[in-house]
Amino acid sequence: MNFPSVDYSWLGNGTVIAIIAIVHVIISHGVAIGTSVLTVSLEHQAFKTNNQKLDGLAKNIAKWILIITTTVGAMTGVGIWFSTTVIQPDSIGSLLRIFFWAWVTEWVVFITEVILLIIYYYTWDRWQDPEKKRKHIYIGVGLSIASWLTMAIITGVLAAKLTPGKWIETFSFWNAFFNPTYLPSLGFRMFLAILLAIVLVSLFIRLFVKDLSLREESFKVFGFWGAISLPMTFVLGLWYLWSIPDQAYNMIVLATGMTESTFKIINGLALLILLVFSVWLIRSPKKVPIILSIAVFGASIGFIGEFEVVREYIRKPFIIYDYMYANGLLAQDREKMNEEGFLANATWAKEKEITEENKVEAGREVFVGQCIACHTIDGWRTKRALGKRLAGWDEEALKNYIPTMHTVRVAMPPFMGTEEELDALAAYLKSEIDRVNNEKEVSQNE
Amino acid sequence: MNNLPISPDNALPIPAPLGLMELLIILTFIIHILFVNFTVSLVTGAVGLEIAGKVKKSAFLDKMAKSCSFHASIHKSIAVVMGVAPLLIISVIYTQYFYSSTILIGKIWISVIPLLIIAFLLLYLYKFTWDKWQNKKALHILVGFAAMLILLYIPLIFIVNITSMLYPDKWGEVQGFFPSLLYYPQIWQRYLHFILASLATGGFYVFLFYEYKSRKKGGLEDYEQSLKLFGAKVSLWITVVQLIAGFILLFAFKPEVRMLFMGEDLLLTTLLMLSIVLTIILCVFLFLAGYKDSFKSFVLSAAVFVLIVSIMGWIRHEVRETYLSPYFDEFPRTEQSMEK
Repeated sequence: MNFPSVDYSWLGNGTVIAIIAIVHVIISHGVAIGTSVLTVSLEHQAFKTNNQKLDGLAKNIAKWILIITTTVGAMTGVGIWFSTTVIQPDSIGSLLRIFFWAWVTEWVVFITEVILLIIYYYTWDRWQDPEKKRKHIYIGVGLSIASWLTMAIITGVLAAKLTPGKWIETFSFWNAFFNPTYLPSLGFRMFLAILLAIVLVSLFIRLFVKDLSLREESFKVFGFWGAISLPMTFVLGLWYLWSIPDQAYNMIVLATGMTESTFKIINGLALLILLVFSVWLIRSPKKVPIILSIAVFGASIGFIGEFEVVREYIRKPFIIYDYMYANGLLAQDREKMNEEGFLANATWAKEKEITEENKVEAGREVFVGQCIACHTIDGWRTKRALGKRLAGWDEEALKNYIPTMHTVRVAMPPFMGTEEELDALAAYLKSEIDRVNNEKEVSQNE
Repeated sequence: MNNLPISPDNALPIPAPLGLMELLIILTFIIHILFVNFTVSLVTGAVGLEIAGKVKKSAFLDKMAKSCSFHASIHKSIAVVMGVAPLLIISVIYTQYFYSSTILIGKIWISVIPLLIIAFLLLYLYKFTWDKWQNKKALHILVGFAAMLILLYIPLIFIVNITSMLYPDKWGEVQGFFPSLLYYPQIWQRYLHFILASLATGGFYVFLFYEYKSRKKGGLEDYEQSLKLFGAKVSLWITVVQLIAGFILLFAFKPEVRMLFMGEDLLLTTLLMLSIVLTIILCVFLFLAGYKDSFKSFVLSAAVFVLIVSIMGWIRHEVRETYLSPYFDEFPRTEQSMEK
């Protein structure tokens, strides 16, 4: 509570970031990186075979890259930053300081990417004679490299949140950036991006390109990329899995909310669909069934969503591993908070001294400071909506449970604060549990 | 002052010398705001000219409008990427103030994201349907108008954000974005100053772009020539009004700060005087460029323009530093030299 707080009481604060982030990953990976690679490949193929129709198709795809990445893509990228500034200021504030120069570099690459994209699309018709076409294709290759570089930089930051490695001791930028999961996660994302693009673009080609030979030509190019990317994604994915900490590894299934067997069946099935689809692209590009295109599209979007949710979840109870907890409190401050009190150290808390009169209000402030990063009182995620989840608990039970919960629930950060603050939190939760459940009863009786 | 809700600074040190950070934030913000100015004014110009074209049944005005919309949709992308650097630096060197003032209007601040996505998509729709929707003019104008309204609204959010960060003593007194619009001083004066700057800069951009094009291609089409001179005239007359708006903003500052610009501080007073003199010189060149179509004036006006914008960016930074300096004495930043 170094800063004021915002409460999305129904959606949940974490969900706001998640929605923006998932949309951004789909676009940054699938469109900005993957589709750029595919488009330049199509353009190159068209140039080699002197295929005007294929060139036209590539231009049309480039137009959509421009429209999507400079609107939804760019703004959700900035949006992750906007939403974390409001919802997790302590965490993003620390990350900006650790990775400042990485972000400055990211900015320069980002500008390059946008400018190359603008040049790439707007010179398409003007640079058609062979000499200029070659130059145009180079611009496209440059665009693909710039898009990849933006990912290569930001992945350093994301990977460091899970595995900061030696940074915890040295506080050195390079230790944070080249952390244990950096290379595997970058490699994994890179080929995942191309796979995702194949799936996204081929659905639209299957639906809207009526010319069979044009469809065949483009699917052949996609098949080539698929044959490389699918095994690479799989192998690098395994490497990535093996390099994350055991505690995090063990939370993967838990993070999805599925049972172990459902998790295996669903993910196995998705992989199978992707495999069948890739083989089909290569073996008979003319006859890819619509239903398969749609199935693989759905499976991929689902997988990206799952990947993001898992990646965010398994880091718990931390947001920067071993340094900062998910609620923004520093691991090293625990003793201080237990002695001096959480509210006394919370700049934006109004109730510094707890009395019988302000107990519930003080408890609310503890809740806002330590719980709302993940929890709501009432909301759509029933497991995190404490009003329902804790129905039937009394104050005594809450008081006994809260100080030990992090040992039972591995995803929970430890409670930090004095005995009085614990009482206050329990009193607040109890009052909210009663309110939520009474409202339910009243509405049921009506 | 100890009762103010200003948090201690983040425990991790600011990753570069403060002076370098300040220089970078001034430079990168100037580049960002120029492209924002282009975008806002070119959209406004496109919609205005398109409406005028429809009313006067003039294909000529319609072509001028189309050209503006084309440029607007390119500059909006650059405006966004250019904004990353100043946002990064303000987050790092003013964490204690900027984060609080942001979170106080948090939901509205996040709403910038969906709003800009909508506005940008509308801008593409506006541009790519220009010829196709010639028979659906009213609908087409509506698309541009909606994008324009959003783009004129968003700056208010950022202005509340960066103005309220200067007033930690008022944070507890007002809740939410819309009440803040009326509560904090300077907001509307800053908005007026920004909108006028946008229009003048946009006019100037159009003038520069077509002068450059005519030099390169050895001539312009009629509508391009008209647009060029129109740009210079808009830039001139808006800048004249801006001289007054600048004073209105100066008088919105608290007296202690205002007086620094009016003699008490040598640097600030010089900067302000210089900017006024240069603005008057710019107006003369713009007059010659717009009414006499003189090339020499074009080059000189570009040089003076760059100077003015740089001084304005510098002054803007000094205002913030002056407002915050008493708080920094009490709640210092974590600087590199303080690293353990």
